[in-house]
Amino acid sequence: MKKSDIKSDIKSTKKKKGAGTAAAYLWSAPSLLLICLIVVFPIFYTGYISLTNMNVYHWFTYDLIGLDNYKEALLVFDSGFLSALFLTVVWTAVNMLLQLVAAYLLASLLNTKGLKLRNCYRTLLIFPWAMPGYVSILLWKTGMFNSQFGLLNQWMEKMGFSPVKWLADDMSAFICCTIVNLWLALPFMITIIDGALQSVDRSYYESALLDGADWMQRTWYITIPAIRPIIAPSVVITIFTTFKQFDVIYLLTQQAGAKTGAHIHTILTYAYENAFITNNYGYSSAVSMIIFVILIVFSYGINMKPKEES
Amino acid sequence: MKKLTALLLSIAILTCILCGCGAQGASLTEEEKNTVVIWHDKEEAVSEALSDELKRLVPDVTVQLEYKSNLTEALKMVGNDPKAAPDMYFFAHDKIGVYAEMGILAPITDLIDKETLTASCVDMTLDAAAYKGELYQLPVYFETLLFLYNRLYMPDEKVPGTTEELYAYMEEKTRGGHYGFVEQHSTAYYSAGWIHGFGGCIMDENGNVGLSSPETVRALEYHKKFVGLMPGESEYATVNTLFQEGKAHATIGGPWLVSASRAAGMDLGIAPMPVIDETQIPISPYMGVQGVQVLKFAAENKTEAVKKVLYALMQPEVGISLARVSGCAPAVEACYENDEVASDDVVMAMREMAENTIPMPNRPEMDVMWTVAADMLVNINMSGQDVKESCAAAQKNAEELIKKMQ
Repeated sequence: MKKSDIKSDIKSTKKKKGAGTAAAYLWSAPSLLLICLIVVFPIFYTGYISLTNMNVYHWFTYDLIGLDNYKEALLVFDSGFLSALFLTVVWTAVNMLLQLVAAYLLASLLNTKGLKLRNCYRTLLIFPWAMPGYVSILLWKTGMFNSQFGLLNQWMEKMGFSPVKWLADDMSAFICCTIVNLWLALPFMITIIDGALQSVDRSYYESALLDGADWMQRTWYITIPAIRPIIAPSVVITIFTTFKQFDVIYLLTQQAGAKTGAHIHTILTYAYENAFITNNYGYSSAVSMIIFVILIVFSYGINMKPKEES
Repeated sequence: MKKLTALLLSIAILTCILCGCGAQGASLTEEEKNTVVIWHDKEEAVSEALSDELKRLVPDVTVQLEYKSNLTEALKMVGNDPKAAPDMYFFAHDKIGVYAEMGILAPITDLIDKETLTASCVDMTLDAAAYKGELYQLPVYFETLLFLYNRLYMPDEKVPGTTEELYAYMEEKTRGGHYGFVEQHSTAYYSAGWIHGFGGCIMDENGNVGLSSPETVRALEYHKKFVGLMPGESEYATVNTLFQEGKAHATIGGPWLVSASRAAGMDLGIAPMPVIDETQIPISPYMGVQGVQVLKFAAENKTEAVKKVLYALMQPEVGISLARVSGCAPAVEACYENDEVASDDVVMAMREMAENTIPMPNRPEMDVMWTVAADMLVNINMSGQDVKESCAAAQKNAEELIKKMQ
């Protein structure tokens, strides 16, 4: 083959590749545009609003005011914010640990050999997912924790104990919020771990059994390493969802007109009470952008670990 | 072929997405000028009665009543967009300040003669509709809290006339899961009545925060002893269920509770608010005035149709019809000449109560005050914190947050 032929071949391959790439971008354009509109644009727009004086008094006639809102916003990050940040980290850690352990145990039980009505149990365990979170949370609040009509206090009274205000004290409110969050989050984690468990090659367990490994050893040396890469993305997603949790804690303890007396705050409920109620969108956007940066740093920290391990 | 289809579909979707970004014209056709859209968040019975009356009174204008569950937030988003915003909205007066400051409301006096308004409406309702010297609402009806009691447990002769009598009754009757009296004690809207009874306030008409005033502190110190004889939860569902299930003998609640309690078969009594012994002033709750506000675009571009609707809403028939379905007191004085209205104990109780009520402040700062005051009440009533310290901390917090609104 001549040199010129090879060159023209390379050129035509490059052309084809270029045309292919362009076509791929064109076909992805609607999705990319939607992602830009729904995800990227709001972030940039919030960033822009945070540099303006948009508030009730300058709703449609706002001006750029530089970093003034950020100077104000940093004042929100006082000792109250720091304790809210600490509680958010504790909340995330406790919830993740409980979710992983509970979901693993339930998924393992679902995978027990010879289990009858397996699909029925799966459907039941997925049930909390089918209900809107808002409804679930309020059902727990009035149906379970209410000191006058709640099921828990009816049991307490039947057993001869005096009624308890479950959501009035910080510690018991934290435990109640954790239980409700567990109820809401378990279906997702069970589904993922259940799927992951089914993908583990049975032959590993057979070899381990021949070597005399007990249940704990099989779990520690075979199951966990095998399912870790599969469940890792879900764990990361759940960590974020839990970290930026607002509805469970707000609706159970701080809903307007239904506050319970507990003072547990995540960074979002704290920012809501100390910034968002002001109707000052410039200022609230600055607070949001700072929280966004905190989340990005947190995300970077979490993503670092698997890389180091790999 | 497949590629071509994919290409065409991609272009079609892209075009559809970008179409939404197109500019929208503002010129109106005759039909559009004669169509008035009213947003509201009222129950079906109220909106149906309103719709029927308007159809009868202004048959030449097409009035569309649209239910909006999150009306106040939706208005903030689209208030200055004529294509998305309504022409009017039917809501309580307490958000007038927010929308007036945003610049989306037209003064109602641009469309209705002020003298006509003053002559026909209850004075208090016009006070509520005013913000910075301008009237922004056509009041239609008003509501306030009432002292309600269950005659099965609290006979008429036992109804407390003073707060000390009420306390004695609570001490006697609160036991074994039964309560002498319940209210939403840690909600600002409900506690305001006690605060006003001592001459205090959450925020005065000039926008001054009154949380740490000596009168407010004294009111909350006094109120705290009543809270000790009420259930821990102070939210709407618990308090109302206790009353409706006969576990609480008396309560302070709105007119919405009256129809539900009577429908449940309760022999319900309505009494004047107990007088506070120390000040000789009755518990004086907030009053909310429900009415119509007009958006600027509609006032400028649909003037005639909007005027017709407003004048129709001032007809006594509308107030009478709404009083029948809502149990609220009409804002138009002439409605009280109607026998049906005059013989309605709930409506008349509210009309009489109007003398001892305070219109909810309609300043934008109230958005902050509801949350701060509720936090303060929770700290005092539910977390057992010191009244004076909690009030001082809440005052400081409120002033800081109000500063941040600017």
